[in-house]
Amino acid sequence: MRGAKSAKWVVGAVVVALAATACGGGDGDSKDKSSADGGVFRLGSTEPDTIDPGRAHESTGVLLANALFTGLYGNTPDGMAEPALAESATSDDSCTSWTFKIKPDTKFSNGEVVDSEAFARGWARAAHKAAASDVAYHFAGIKGYAELQDGSAKTFSGVTTPDPTTIKVDLSKADCEFVLKTAHNAYSPVPKVAKVGEEDKAFGEAPIGNGPFKMDGTWEHNKAINLVRNDTYGLEKASLGKVQVTLLNDKTAQQLEYDGFQAGTFDYAHIPTPMLKTAEAKYKPQNKWFAKDTSGMNFVLPIGDNGPTNNKDARLAISYAIDRQAIAKGVFQGFQTPSTTIVPPSFPKAYQKDLCVSCVKQDVAKAKEHAEKGGLKPGTEIKFSFNTGAGHEEWVQAIAKQLEDVLGVKVKLDGKDFPGMLKEQQGGGATGIYRFAWGADYPTPENFLFPLLHSTSMSKDAEGNVTGDNRVRYNNPEFDKLIDTARATKDEAARLAMYKQAEKMAMDDMALIPTFNRSQFRLMATDKFNGLDDINFNEDPILEKISLKK
Amino acid sequence: MVIVLIGATMVLFACLFVLPGDPVGSIAGSDKARDPAVVTELKARYGLDKSLPEQYVNYVTKVATGDLGEDFIQRREVSEILGPKLQNTAKLALLAIVLITVFGMGVGIIAALYRYSVLDMTTTFFTTMAVGFPTFVIGMLLKKYFAVELQWFPPIGGDQFNGMILPAVTLAITDIAFVARLTRGTMLEVLRADYVKTAVAKGLPRRRVLFKHVLRNSSIPVVTYLGISFGALLGGALITEAIFNWDGVGLALVQAIQQQNNPIVIGVVTYSVAIFVVLSLIVDLLYAALDPRIRLS
Repeated sequence: MRGAKSAKWVVGAVVVALAATACGGGDGDSKDKSSADGGVFRLGSTEPDTIDPGRAHESTGVLLANALFTGLYGNTPDGMAEPALAESATSDDSCTSWTFKIKPDTKFSNGEVVDSEAFARGWARAAHKAAASDVAYHFAGIKGYAELQDGSAKTFSGVTTPDPTTIKVDLSKADCEFVLKTAHNAYSPVPKVAKVGEEDKAFGEAPIGNGPFKMDGTWEHNKAINLVRNDTYGLEKASLGKVQVTLLNDKTAQQLEYDGFQAGTFDYAHIPTPMLKTAEAKYKPQNKWFAKDTSGMNFVLPIGDNGPTNNKDARLAISYAIDRQAIAKGVFQGFQTPSTTIVPPSFPKAYQKDLCVSCVKQDVAKAKEHAEKGGLKPGTEIKFSFNTGAGHEEWVQAIAKQLEDVLGVKVKLDGKDFPGMLKEQQGGGATGIYRFAWGADYPTPENFLFPLLHSTSMSKDAEGNVTGDNRVRYNNPEFDKLIDTARATKDEAARLAMYKQAEKMAMDDMALIPTFNRSQFRLMATDKFNGLDDINFNEDPILEKISLKK
Repeated sequence: MVIVLIGATMVLFACLFVLPGDPVGSIAGSDKARDPAVVTELKARYGLDKSLPEQYVNYVTKVATGDLGEDFIQRREVSEILGPKLQNTAKLALLAIVLITVFGMGVGIIAALYRYSVLDMTTTFFTTMAVGFPTFVIGMLLKKYFAVELQWFPPIGGDQFNGMILPAVTLAITDIAFVARLTRGTMLEVLRADYVKTAVAKGLPRRRVLFKHVLRNSSIPVVTYLGISFGALLGGALITEAIFNWDGVGLALVQAIQQQNNPIVIGVVTYSVAIFVVLSLIVDLLYAALDPRIRLS
């Protein structure tokens, strides 16, 4: 909803470059002597699609689902998995069977105990056909997923609960990083009132959870969602008394947030891109400006099986022809940085700077050379599709101009609404290049490499239409093998090495063309609250750490 | 009236469904993979698998019983969703129309009575300005100065009365200017009319001439304008509602169009057409009351 629309699922990670003055360091501790108990934290946001933990997928929904529910694991702001309700997570040697021990006697806000059943219920509920959940695929590796998806079962055959504090998970394919996936909000436990296998509107309007906050009333559509502190929270309790989320229309939401922050109506705000410079000049000196590089990556997506970009040389020519520095400086006014990888710099253990050699610097000679080899003759028409209204127009035009100037090709810009663009991208007749972005759902390179480039992340029908996230239609058996082996490798260092190798392989094939790393900017009322020195992995304020200043 | 309604909904229906796009895609609302089984089920659920005429007949029979159907996004009754939004828009429209009537007519009358005075000139100047300014500029300026800088009013319209003032003023300003000029013009015309001269010559008191003859006769075009204006306001003001985050039908309509949430689009438009039909009836009735020569038959 904000910025790149695919930022909806995007979940951020690791601090790489906090703007020096952004974070007035060290005042984030809620037990700080300078903090008072209570207080109301006010923010504006767009109307969420859903706040049901089993379905939430866009930014506001994820913010609320995570405030209302706590699962087995969570992610630290810098993208490390940390146990929440899990006391331990162990897998067998093959990584196909996992056992979780959970903290005993934590409670839902209605008093019900959070036991292993509550988790099994929550997972099955989210994966069941009736939930029509966009995030159900996060359960795809668990045995029995297909039966839940077609509605023939109401429980996972692969999830068993031998006792109230033990959850056993059997996977259909080895996954040594399964534990990371349990940090997703879809893996939340739900109480008995939540219905499994049928539509559950009432619960979705006012979910009863086990998180640091609970609902204050029900969801007032297009108006507000109010939260109060959950005093029976099983982990460290929040300091804030209330969180008020004013629901703003998505046409002008960022402007409204920005206006509201300036008028003192909100304590936290996103900033419309054209206002970034003004906002920085005004609020950086006041220590209310926050900047962070996140795990969102922007790409030019070349259709790999059809049209002018069906060969590596043509794709290399395009990559060499783009002057990323000029666009970062000109179009983005220095607020975004050029990217040279598929895996974001926010994963420091896996990040391989400048892996994409053609991304480092525009090289006209090399671009022409590869164009010649790849059949991108001057005058060739390349279609460049993007979704309109989300702020992509300017940079897309800049790239089109550069391609035309350097390669002499004819770039046909094709702006569409978002669903229209996605539909076309999946069609059998898709050709040329597309604007594309991706962010992590959990902090592992696999979350980029598998969905975007593994051949099983795409299925093609007779007419060539594809489903799945491998929109470039990348198909490299060696790459697949590496990813599969990596997923089944227990040793983290070895696994990461394989992911790195796989990323290099995809980069050598120029499967995706990296463009920009995504940076996020916020305004925060640091004069009123402590704990505003970071945003979490989901790019939201860390509500449970915020406290009122004395 | 019924014919107008049927015509309008038919045209709308045709427009919406002939347009390319995939409402089911919008419902699922994601660029991650979609299960074809879910898509089929959603289509069946909303009757989107039926032919266009069938869908229209279904819709009309339901509307006749007051049932606007279920929306695609929240899966709630359209009337339940639109109800509070209608109230919100109506609140704003009512305040705006009061401002328009009081200030528009007031300024117009004064300007006409003191023609060519400094007051009249000033009025002409400001009304010309106001008419020329786009509503969104007015709204943003008002917000910038009175909400963000001076902090007299909230930048985001809410339930409290002071949250209504900025959006209502934004909506009213252009129409105040129009109504003022219209009132001034027709007043001047009537003031020159023979019957007014006769009334004055007969020695009727000035106040009586003004109210009984001039004002009454010059208000017909103004009432027509106010009627249309009120209708437009009730139909929701897209830009103003967006600027001040006013949760009304205008905003709902833009959003619904973008999400291809057709039940809401149809709901808003059906309602707007109905409002116009009712308002034009009221205006017609008012004519008769203002000018007895106009007979209703």
